[in-house]
Amino acid sequence: MFRAWNPAQPEITDLIVRHDPRTLERLPVRKQDVLDVFASFQNRQALGAIETLPAPDGILDAREIDRLFVTVHWEMQRLSEEFYHGPRVYEVIRAVIATIRARGFSGPLRVVDVGCGIGYNIRWLAARTPLASQGVELTGVDLNRALIKEANRLSTAETLPCRFLHGDAFSADHSGQIYLSTGVIHHFRGEALLDFLRHHQRPETHAYLHFDFQPWFLAPYGSWFFHFLRMRTRLARHDGVLSAARAHTADTLVQAARTAAPEFASGIYGARIWNTPAPRVFHTLIGVRRAFLPGLQQQFGRLASRLGELR
Amino acid sequence: MKLLALYLLALLDGLLCGGRVSMGRCALIHKRSYYTRALLRGLLSAQAVSTIALLVLLGVASLSSHRAELRTDLEAAAARMLWIFVPYAAAVVGSLALRILPSTDLRSATSVFALGPFTAIRPVIMIVGVFYGIAASRLMETRILGLFVLSLMLSLEYFLNRSAGFRQAREIRQLI
Repeated sequence: MFRAWNPAQPEITDLIVRHDPRTLERLPVRKQDVLDVFASFQNRQALGAIETLPAPDGILDAREIDRLFVTVHWEMQRLSEEFYHGPRVYEVIRAVIATIRARGFSGPLRVVDVGCGIGYNIRWLAARTPLASQGVELTGVDLNRALIKEANRLSTAETLPCRFLHGDAFSADHSGQIYLSTGVIHHFRGEALLDFLRHHQRPETHAYLHFDFQPWFLAPYGSWFFHFLRMRTRLARHDGVLSAARAHTADTLVQAARTAAPEFASGIYGARIWNTPAPRVFHTLIGVRRAFLPGLQQQFGRLASRLGELR
Repeated sequence: MKLLALYLLALLDGLLCGGRVSMGRCALIHKRSYYTRALLRGLLSAQAVSTIALLVLLGVASLSSHRAELRTDLEAAAARMLWIFVPYAAAVVGSLALRILPSTDLRSATSVFALGPFTAIRPVIMIVGVFYGIAASRLMETRILGLFVLSLMLSLEYFLNRSAGFRQAREIRQLI
């Protein structure tokens, strides 16, 4: 079990779908290549999960992988629901939007959820908050075409005022004023993390909010217990726990943000529960243009104590 | 009266099993009708299980040469089981009730510290409750009936989960 928690290794989902970085077209993935990666880490749990994936002629069956991804993302939405992630996102984004508006920005604001998957955050915001009617364009972007198709199907089924696009969230076509992500940022390590954060330094972008697991010594154990109970697919159980083990510390995130995106004042939001030493499961890397900094604390109101130092 | 209380607890358990197996299998935001159907499915399954248990109990009673003694023994076993099941049910319902409070942290905490662990120990509670109930029974019929009902209740969630899994897999196959 503990070899499956080695943070040096990638997650299974990082490897079983590959895209051409230029065209974003799906590339074939050899099952043996994926197995070899986890064999080098002696991660038997991952090997067991990958062995079950269908691979005619040694190439992972793209349709079956898409089905698995959708199944896993439905399960992940359940965790978001249990952790009331929608309200958590809204409490931060509402304050950030109010700050931007208070500084005189009256045009349409586009919120872009990076790596949105089946778009739970954006669909929740569209369904449960007045943001769309207040001139906020709610958009989700993901490299995975199957997940984007599912996100659009779900939002159409409920006639939600939001949209989902296949592609690169930081491309000129999809860029936004506020970037958002959940459980994405730990997938970027080292230089890739700096590159990811550097992408925010575009003139139209005012703020970013990246939610991710907060690492502490009990996090993988808690994550293991919770995934064992709540998740049904081997892949989700494996990657969910590994995510908690791979999560970046607040220091790593803040240092990276301040280095890669110096035009933004950045810090951590919501690290502790009720100002006690008890950590929240998720913390948020928050960054805003320095011009917006003075009014931000005020817009958080009674939640201002959750906001760490932004600089 | 004690058997009726056990029956009501079985219905509650079925209701919650129905809800639990449906979670993570529908990605809409508005899911009230989906969950209502799932809860109803669980409730009806528990009713079916209870009906089977009742029919077996009536069958055993009709064949028994000491019906009055059997009834007393069953009532006594049921009373002992309630000592285990009622506090567990109260703790589960109490945790669910806490979710009415308007605090995301508190609501999430009920999942992490209460509902999750309670789900994990459900089979253990069932086994302990039934064994505690039948341990002091004087009649073999009571013990066999207790174990029969235990096997039915333990298999309830398994079959509900399998059925929900088939429906989900079929739906995803139609989508992709």
